[in-house]
Amino acid sequence: MSPELASLLRILAAVGLMLMNGVILIYMLRRVLGRLHQRLGPVHVGPQGLLQTPMDVLKLLTKEDITPTNVDKALYFIAPAAVFTPSLMAYAAIPFSPTWMVTDLDTGLLYTLVVMSLVSMGLLMAGWASANKWSLIGGMRSVGQHIAYEIPLLLSVLPVVMYVGTLNLSSIVEAQSGTWLGILPQWFITNPLFWPAFIIFIVSALIKVNQTPFDMSEAESELVAGFATEYSSMKFGLFFLSEFSNSFIVSALAVTLFFGGWTLPFVPDEVLAPIAPVVFMLKVYVGIFVLMWIRGTLPRVRMDHLMQFAWKILIPAVLTWILVFGFIIKLFDLGRPVG
Amino acid sequence: MTEPHFTVTESGLMTPEGMYIPGEPPKGIRRIPKGVDRLGTEHLIVNMGPQHPSTHGVLHLIVELDGEEVVTVEVSIGFLHRGIEKLAESRRFDHLGTLMDRGDYVSVIHGEQAVALAVEKLMEIEVPAKAAWIRTLTAELTRLASHLVWFGTFGLDTGAMGQFLYAMRDREVLLDILEEISGQRMMFNYVRPGGVVADLPTGIESRILSFCDTFEVYLEEHDALLGGNEIFQARVKGIGVVSKETALAFGLTGANLRASGLGFDVRRDRPYDAYPELEFDIPIGTIGDSWDRYTVRMEEMRQSLRMIRQLVGGMPGGPFTAKVPKVLRPPAGEVYASVESSRGETGIHLFTDGGTTPYRMHYRAASLFTCQLFEEILPGHLFADACMLLGSFDIMLGEVDR
Amino acid sequence: MWGKGILNGMRITMRNMLRGPITVRYPYERVTLPERARWAVEVVRDESGAHKCTACMTCVRACPDHILDLQFTTAEDKSKHIDYLRYEMGACMMCGLCVEACPFDALKMGQDYELAKLTRDELTVDLLVDVAAAAPARAKKASEVPAGGTDDSRGGGTDG
Ligand code: SF4
Ligand code: SF4
Repeated sequence: MSPELASLLRILAAVGLMLMNGVILIYMLRRVLGRLHQRLGPVHVGPQGLLQTPMDVLKLLTKEDITPTNVDKALYFIAPAAVFTPSLMAYAAIPFSPTWMVTDLDTGLLYTLVVMSLVSMGLLMAGWASANKWSLIGGMRSVGQHIAYEIPLLLSVLPVVMYVGTLNLSSIVEAQSGTWLGILPQWFITNPLFWPAFIIFIVSALIKVNQTPFDMSEAESELVAGFATEYSSMKFGLFFLSEFSNSFIVSALAVTLFFGGWTLPFVPDEVLAPIAPVVFMLKVYVGIFVLMWIRGTLPRVRMDHLMQFAWKILIPAVLTWILVFGFIIKLFDLGRPVG
Repeated sequence: MTEPHFTVTESGLMTPEGMYIPGEPPKGIRRIPKGVDRLGTEHLIVNMGPQHPSTHGVLHLIVELDGEEVVTVEVSIGFLHRGIEKLAESRRFDHLGTLMDRGDYVSVIHGEQAVALAVEKLMEIEVPAKAAWIRTLTAELTRLASHLVWFGTFGLDTGAMGQFLYAMRDREVLLDILEEISGQRMMFNYVRPGGVVADLPTGIESRILSFCDTFEVYLEEHDALLGGNEIFQARVKGIGVVSKETALAFGLTGANLRASGLGFDVRRDRPYDAYPELEFDIPIGTIGDSWDRYTVRMEEMRQSLRMIRQLVGGMPGGPFTAKVPKVLRPPAGEVYASVESSRGETGIHLFTDGGTTPYRMHYRAASLFTCQLFEEILPGHLFADACMLLGSFDIMLGEVDR
Repeated sequence: MWGKGILNGMRITMRNMLRGPITVRYPYERVTLPERARWAVEVVRDESGAHKCTACMTCVRACPDHILDLQFTTAEDKSKHIDYLRYEMGACMMCGLCVEACPFDALKMGQDYELAKLTRDELTVDLLVDVAAAAPARAKKASEVPAGGTDDSRGGGTDG
């Protein structure tokens, strides 16, 4: 197989995975939220309501695509793509197993975070182009929160990078294989040194996925539907998909950085190799379940509280922690650089 | 409030003193200007409602925003006007309840009760003890149901979805009980001048008591889920402070007034039906912010539960309605009767001319007074808080617009 | 500590999740209506299918929204013939006042809650068409037996 063909196939697989993920996650969200609220969620279409989301996708595809009169046509059409593409691109560096990944980037972590941060630009575009005041407020809010939380998000992963000395995601996973003293898995989450970083990562990552308690940009009780108010049909579908794929990426990053990626303790490598992607996916889905659980429970934070929290608490905290962490690592020579 | 004469032009607002640049908007603005503030940024005017998720019905707010901050608010009501007061002039006295049901359609019994009390006062009908107790029981059950709607939508306004559905779950049981008593889930048409339509069905007492037992647990859960949440506390504490003076000036009643620290409650201060015989406390807030309104209403639910227990336990025997003629002909006169509904004092002012229908009926709706407050309270808050504040005041547009 | 309430909230939602759904899957499962449930107005019929309406017009006058429409012709022997008793289901608020008002217990509130119709015309229901009205004397005898029910136990007097 020529390398071009192989990469093309990998990219197609990523697209397929993203679309599949979207459909499955929407179904999962409905079921999980339903159960959390003592409801059933979709049960009618297909066995256990499994066909509900595919039908919804069909509905979105066949619905009339309305373009309001006063919109900025070019931006209005680009915006869904500008939101969707980065979400898709973010799949490129995620290691599903030692061998399964679109591309093994040496700067995989940085790449993923950078690409994810492009999403907010698309949201602003959508908000501005819609010629709708609710959308505009939603777009502005989203840019504000994304810029503010970009920094703690990037900084919160630094301890991991300092520890393993690489930005390559598969190397980070490999560094977490094995166990501490034969009891605990050697995932970074079992090491108290990484807990502050993990908490900061989770908070900033929640903002990335635009979910309650941080769904400021489409706060449905305030802004009707935020930046997506004027979008219909599949354009709206793209926003929707990108949001779900973002929660997948965020959960996948958390699993890769702190929960050992595809590794399992006590399982020899030969056994693990074929089931690695399954292990990874399971971990990611557990992470997504927690995201949905949070979504079904918490009220929304206010915009200014959110910004104050970022600039006044989170960023100083994460900077301090990096300093302390660096000292500890250096003093006790704890780092385990790979490769 | 004197009204200055403003003319709205394309670029701003002309006042007698010349062009008005918004910043501190003068009182009594009728149309919000398309203003420019000192930083030279343009203000945004958004029409919030009548179709907006958090206006609780068809309230229309014209909000001028400076960034995220609310500069002025104009409340525009009347989208749900059905002419209840005028219609009442062609309804027989025992049929007025069906109109009042559609006034405040979430706390229904209270409207019916107000009408019944007014007619009874006019005709000097003595209500049998049992009738009064049944009325009070249904009124307290309705208050619980109504407060649950407030609780759920308040959560929804702050962005939390869970408690809305949990509140609806509990309300469902309440509505089932009320359906069993009255025959319908929302428009009960149960209270009539002289008493109630029918006796309590057999076995309802145990149902109510078992509801009380489960709900007691759920209520604490609700309180912990929303009120215990730090995010929620950060959002409501100190927001939307209504001082005692403002509350009095705007004629607030009910929980909104009590949250400001004024302990007026019709149930205690102008007792009617079985309330004099009941033991209950009236929770009072301190500074009148949204948190006070939240805690006062939550405490009111606990007190309602307490009252329901007493009412079920001490239900007297006897007839459930006084002997009243089928067609009521109160003597000519004027009467005002009020009850404590879930939203405040619901009053009925009746003028009669000796006929079978009222000559004129005035319906004092507590939410209308709360609505007027928005123009005073919302400016200066963030837009997100404005939505939350609408929820905290618990307005009912069916009652505002009638 | 800040955050305790949030964690407690998460615990509560999880506890609710474990309580299991309470949904009644409506077309497949049904709830039983209480005895007093009020839905559309129906005519009471005895075993032989005979109605008890005497065309006294009390219900027509009692209805606050003028939903009922009764048209009758009086024969020479004073017996009444009901042309139609028409009922606009779409506008009825199911308050039960007509049922309470009927002195002959000829009406009742039905318990059928699936009232959706495909066309607007179907919402106009003719409860009685072209039948002889029941004789008041016979019906009165029947109504003198205390109903013991919920409908008309309020004090005396008739519609003025
Ligand atoms: S139920 Fe009420 S609205 Fe309907 S016909 Fe009878 S009196 Fe009229
Ligand atoms: S008998 Fe009953 S149903 Fe017939 S006209 Fe009289 S009130 Fe109406």
